[in-house]
Amino acid sequence: MTQKVPPLLLLGLLAGALLAPASPVRADSLDRAALVQELCGDAGAMGKAGATLVTTAAAGSAEDREWAAPLARAAIDRKLACDEAGAMLDEGGLDAVTRAPRAAAGTPRSPLLSLKNRPVFELADAAFALRGSPAVAQRTAALKTLERRPALIPEGLLEGAAAAESDAGLREQIDTLSQTAALNASDPAARIRAIGRVAENPSRRALTRISALTADPAYAANPDFRTAVDDATRRIERGIAIGDTLATLYNGLSFASILFMAAIGLAIIFGLMGVINLAQGELIMIGAYVTWLVQQGLRHAAPGLLDWYLVLAIPVAFLATAGIGIALETLLLRHLYKRPLMSLLATWAVSLFLVNIVRVVFGTQNMQFETPFYVSGGVPVIGDFIFTWNRMFAIAFAAVTLALTWLVVRKTPLGLNIRAVTQNRDMAACIGIPTRRVDMMAFGLGSGLAGLAGLALSPIYSVNPQMGQNFIIDSFMVVVLGGVGTIAGTVVAALGIGQINVLIEPLWGAVAAKVIVLLMIIAFLQWRPEGLFAVKGRRK
Amino acid sequence: MVKFSRRSFLQASGLAAAGIASPAVLRSAMAQSGPVKLGCLFSSSGTMANLEGRLNYVVKMAADEINAKGGVNGRTIDVLVSDPASDWPLYAQTAKQMLQQEKVSALFGCWTSVSRKTVLPVVEQENGLLYYPLHFEGDENSKNVVYANSPPASSVLPAVDYLMGEEGVSAKRFFMLGSDYVWPRTINKQLKGYFKSKGIPETAWKEEYVPFGFSNFQTLVNQIRAFADQGGGQPVVILTVVGNSIPDFMREFANQGILATDIPVLGLDMVEADLEGLDTSKLVGHLNCWAYLQNAKGPANEAFLKNWAAYVKAKNVPFSGDVSIDPMVSAYDSVHLWAMAAAKAGSFDVPEVSKAFAGLTFDCPSGYKISMTGENNYVARGVFIGSVNDKQGFDILWQSKDTPKPVPFSPYG
Repeated sequence: MTQKVPPLLLLGLLAGALLAPASPVRADSLDRAALVQELCGDAGAMGKAGATLVTTAAAGSAEDREWAAPLARAAIDRKLACDEAGAMLDEGGLDAVTRAPRAAAGTPRSPLLSLKNRPVFELADAAFALRGSPAVAQRTAALKTLERRPALIPEGLLEGAAAAESDAGLREQIDTLSQTAALNASDPAARIRAIGRVAENPSRRALTRISALTADPAYAANPDFRTAVDDATRRIERGIAIGDTLATLYNGLSFASILFMAAIGLAIIFGLMGVINLAQGELIMIGAYVTWLVQQGLRHAAPGLLDWYLVLAIPVAFLATAGIGIALETLLLRHLYKRPLMSLLATWAVSLFLVNIVRVVFGTQNMQFETPFYVSGGVPVIGDFIFTWNRMFAIAFAAVTLALTWLVVRKTPLGLNIRAVTQNRDMAACIGIPTRRVDMMAFGLGSGLAGLAGLALSPIYSVNPQMGQNFIIDSFMVVVLGGVGTIAGTVVAALGIGQINVLIEPLWGAVAAKVIVLLMIIAFLQWRPEGLFAVKGRRK
Repeated sequence: MVKFSRRSFLQASGLAAAGIASPAVLRSAMAQSGPVKLGCLFSSSGTMANLEGRLNYVVKMAADEINAKGGVNGRTIDVLVSDPASDWPLYAQTAKQMLQQEKVSALFGCWTSVSRKTVLPVVEQENGLLYYPLHFEGDENSKNVVYANSPPASSVLPAVDYLMGEEGVSAKRFFMLGSDYVWPRTINKQLKGYFKSKGIPETAWKEEYVPFGFSNFQTLVNQIRAFADQGGGQPVVILTVVGNSIPDFMREFANQGILATDIPVLGLDMVEADLEGLDTSKLVGHLNCWAYLQNAKGPANEAFLKNWAAYVKAKNVPFSGDVSIDPMVSAYDSVHLWAMAAAKAGSFDVPEVSKAFAGLTFDCPSGYKISMTGENNYVARGVFIGSVNDKQGFDILWQSKDTPKPVPFSPYG
């Protein structure tokens, strides 16, 4: 429906009102005014409008589809402004029916989609996009939305879209989906094909769909159909079993990576100096805040690099927390080495100090982090296993940290000194190792690692002044179980605790999992008080 | 605006000692003049700090409003602030100090039900008055507590009804996930009783609890997906985790690709402040239910939001001036309800003030005229169901026509 923009608003309205009835009336044409009126009605009316939009997308004329497509999107985005003269599309102030510009009549109100209507409108929007969007990427995204609700796809939509599709790959995907949608069709061959297609993506939802077919009359009557259903059920069950195993391993690995990141700094400090650093959790928290500051800095200085703030913040977070650690060691702990209880209390005081200073400076609210593409969402792999990118980021980060820490401790002069002092401080001092300087550097290294943990955890957990307190108990658990001061012990203990937690949680719940893991650790330490891997050699 | 600290405690005990030494006539004369004291029991540290902390300032703001109009019974209001540090026993201890030493006329405080339960014996023993601004599990009716927010019958049940109804999503299956303490457990017990009364089979719900402050929700979200994919009707999650567990859960939920149109979450303790720091574009459509939402229409709300923004700016309050949540409004209502009762009674004595509760009404920022009857210490409030939008706030999806009469004791427990 094209028309010239009239010079005067009134004229425009008049022309719209006159033109609408003047256009030739087709038998199947859409009653546009009625649809817009329904869109502005109550939840029931909006539901009807949604259904109309879906049928229009599937079976409407090209003109109607082009006209109706913006309405579905506008309703989802609350960009539809209902006023006394009907409704307007917010952007550009166009009348929803005539698409002529006009001013709002009265105070406009934008209707909110109810939870029940939202999927209908999303379906309609995706259906319009699949048939009308110029970009292949948008059409592919629309198809993904449709795949979520195969049961609601109106008949004729996928056939129409496939016929008009220019991209061969996408056309094949559409065909696949339309074959899947034929699960309840009348043609037995199409149904058997559909069963095979559904079984290609095993999940509990697919299993529910397929096992519902055993109650179908065809299951008893048609042996081919029966074999297809049974085969599909077996395939899906196998897929689910594999998916569940992978999911458990992945969840365990992800929890282990968090535990490892939180504990590795502590392992070095505790192992080397025997100082129980209760401020370790707060150093994690500060690492996360430094990451936030880097993000804010990039927002002002280089908005183009904003997505990469997590990577760019790595050296900053490490150096900032390492600096705090070194300052802490020189100013405070150095004077308390002979008094472990005092150093414990002193680090506790430092932790309270850090929490409160952050609270005063930044406030108590959760910090706002951008979610770059590489830590948002996930991909379904097999069965019900979803590979979430933020967890993967933490796992990869932990792996890299482990490798670098190992290199530093094993392959550098500093690492050699650290190991020497850990094994026998007095002897190391005798052969000329500057133990005080080694202490300082090691404390800096341990604190810097805590800062990196804060960075890696910021896409997973909420960042606020209290966040560090959650980690201190868990990280001590890991360090004590692993054996004081060994990297290998920390890794094995983190993996073990993480995996056991994840295995117990679905069986007896999260509360029991915590209790059982703690009991297991106590029992283990009764048997091996020095932990999994003890440093051989004489302790001071 | 006195900070309740050791210094003020020493000053107060010094004053008290001087009071004992001086003649009785002088003492009673002193008690009749000077400001009347109100106490706040909201944590500014620990896991509840981000939520409870802002309520201190709202109470002060309401007190300032009343003082600007000349105070109550000819006396101005002085608000004492404390920090129970999200440590439940400390709430009781602080309440005791405020009542015994500072002689506060009323307490405003507690967020979690477990903190209210610890304070309850103290206010009953000392015959104090506690205004509790959170919606909660009900099943309690002390003459020393004013329940300024709704019991489940006028908050949770209407929301669950909406979800189960034709207009909602015709929910058939329920995954109840909560923090492990009295509020989630009681709410879920009542919900199960309610489901049974509706003829819903026991296989259609599942209950899980996590420790306080829990944040690793990966396995639980997997369980929710498995529960939802079993078929048998539309599943919903009824979320009663509290504090920082809420954003951590929502983040994991969205990351595993679940949308509100697949499995809606009804977050019973979810407020605007919990969405700070989250990318809400993937959370659009999830629900909460409260007696007030920031988007409530009406002049009372416009005035409240304007005053709060101005107060935050003027007093340099460390919380956002653009965010207003139900417990803030409930705390604000509480101070006004107390002032009205005290003015009506012409006294600050708890028994006198309590007698004046019957028939009080107040124009709440929610747009409803909230009211109290003499039957119990509950306040009749409106009901809102909110839906998360992509701007870290809630749109009003549904609201009650009027204020349902509060039912303290649930028939479903």
